[in-house]
Amino acid sequence: MSLERKDEHDHGAWLAEKDLSLIEKSYLTMLIWLDRRLRLVDYLELLEDMYYKINLQMPKSHTEQYNLDNKFWYWYPLYALGSFSLLAYIVAALSGALLGFYYSPSTAGETPVAYQTIESIMADLNFGFMLRSIHRWAAQVMVAAVFLHMLRVYFTGAYKEPREVNWLLGVVLLALTVLFGYTGYLLPWNQLAFWAGQIGVEMAISVPIVGEWAANLLFGGLSLGQPTLQRMYILHVFVLPFVVTALIALHIGIVWMQGIAEPH
Amino acid sequence: MTDTDTDANNDVRTDGSGTGIVAPDDEVPTWSERKERTTGLSRLTYEYFERARREDQDLRQESSYIERDVLGFPAWPHETIRNLALASFFVGMLLFLAALLPPTIESPANPAETPSVILPDWYLYWSFGLLHLESLNPELALAGGEKIMSDQLYGVLANGAVFGAIAILPFLNKGSARRPVEEPFWASIGVGGVIFAFTLSLLPIEAMFPWDVHITFDMAFFLPVIGAILTYAVLKTMREGYMYNLNKRYYRLRPPR
Repeated sequence: MSLERKDEHDHGAWLAEKDLSLIEKSYLTMLIWLDRRLRLVDYLELLEDMYYKINLQMPKSHTEQYNLDNKFWYWYPLYALGSFSLLAYIVAALSGALLGFYYSPSTAGETPVAYQTIESIMADLNFGFMLRSIHRWAAQVMVAAVFLHMLRVYFTGAYKEPREVNWLLGVVLLALTVLFGYTGYLLPWNQLAFWAGQIGVEMAISVPIVGEWAANLLFGGLSLGQPTLQRMYILHVFVLPFVVTALIALHIGIVWMQGIAEPH
Repeated sequence: MTDTDTDANNDVRTDGSGTGIVAPDDEVPTWSERKERTTGLSRLTYEYFERARREDQDLRQESSYIERDVLGFPAWPHETIRNLALASFFVGMLLFLAALLPPTIESPANPAETPSVILPDWYLYWSFGLLHLESLNPELALAGGEKIMSDQLYGVLANGAVFGAIAILPFLNKGSARRPVEEPFWASIGVGGVIFAFTLSLLPIEAMFPWDVHITFDMAFFLPVIGAILTYAVLKTMREGYMYNLNKRYYRLRPPR
């Protein structure tokens, strides 16, 4: 008898000691051959892991744990405002991507090209009016939901001690949401857009030292024109979507980790 | 009573193997006595249950076993389908709203023609209102009544101050209170802030009201204070009154910080 330890992973020896039919033997041989090369076992483990994650149960919330639902059920609709903002953001992103195919950010011409493209989306494009309407309403609803979400968090004290970081993130997201809206409603280049842009430029210029630099950076000059629209367009469709999506993911990730703060 | 019995009672068991709520007394036969009496099928049943219980216990004692409380609904399918249903309902409402109230498009941008009322979109009214605080911008008497900073800069700084105040909130208000009745002061600050956002929104269009513009300006600052005082009074009353008594139990339940 050998003193050498038996190799537990010697699948050949294990196969040999078993009394198997031809089919069983060839199946196992094939399986072992494939597993050696492709590590099928790892994928099976991943699948098993996924199974348990899908069947994960959410922990009981505070109100469920202490059976307080009879006192706090009327709070519950207010707890959906964060998800409503996210849903409206997704709807706005999808409809905005479609609008992007037909819009062009140009102030050229007697009637600006940007304005003309919006008009043509509304008048000529099939479902174009609906598309613009969806995008606009999704944006309005998102801003409203974000404001109300902040009020809910304030009045239920959900910003308190372990959640300061998420509150700060939320304030940044609120500012970015408003900026998203601002850059968005400047794009049609109508009277509202132009004069709201004028307010923005004057606000930027009024700041001492860095004001003119900031106005040049954000609005492409001290008066409104093609560079302004160009910059608002890039901010609205390229910069803000990435930044806001990343911050929303972080915001929700932290809520996921810390749990929702319900009123006690 | 022997020592082992006392130990068994003090042991916290979660596997259902305890004696239950009725303490065994001398008349109740012990498990071993019962075991000796039984024969045949009941004996087999007992032995099987013993084995099964043992197996459960071994599984529980494995290091990889994590005992959990009774939890909520499973993520799949309950939570997932419920959330999908809520999300579809909400998106449906959004589409309905979009179909019902389509947006208009006003005249194209015209730098030569200033509209009678210049306004941003509605969610910036409060911010635009802060730009209209020029009469609060202090004048320096020594410099012949000149202002230190421009009215516009003053408004921009007011915007910054509002965002700053919101941002430092969690560092000012500590503690574990979670409901307006528990902290009437902070709740009244909140209500005052909400009313202030509304009254500020009226400042850019103060000329459109049929009364003197100064009244709108004064109201912008008085109404939030009045609202805050009312909120404070109401919440204090609720706290002193039946709400507090009703919920006293839950205040006491909360673990100390």
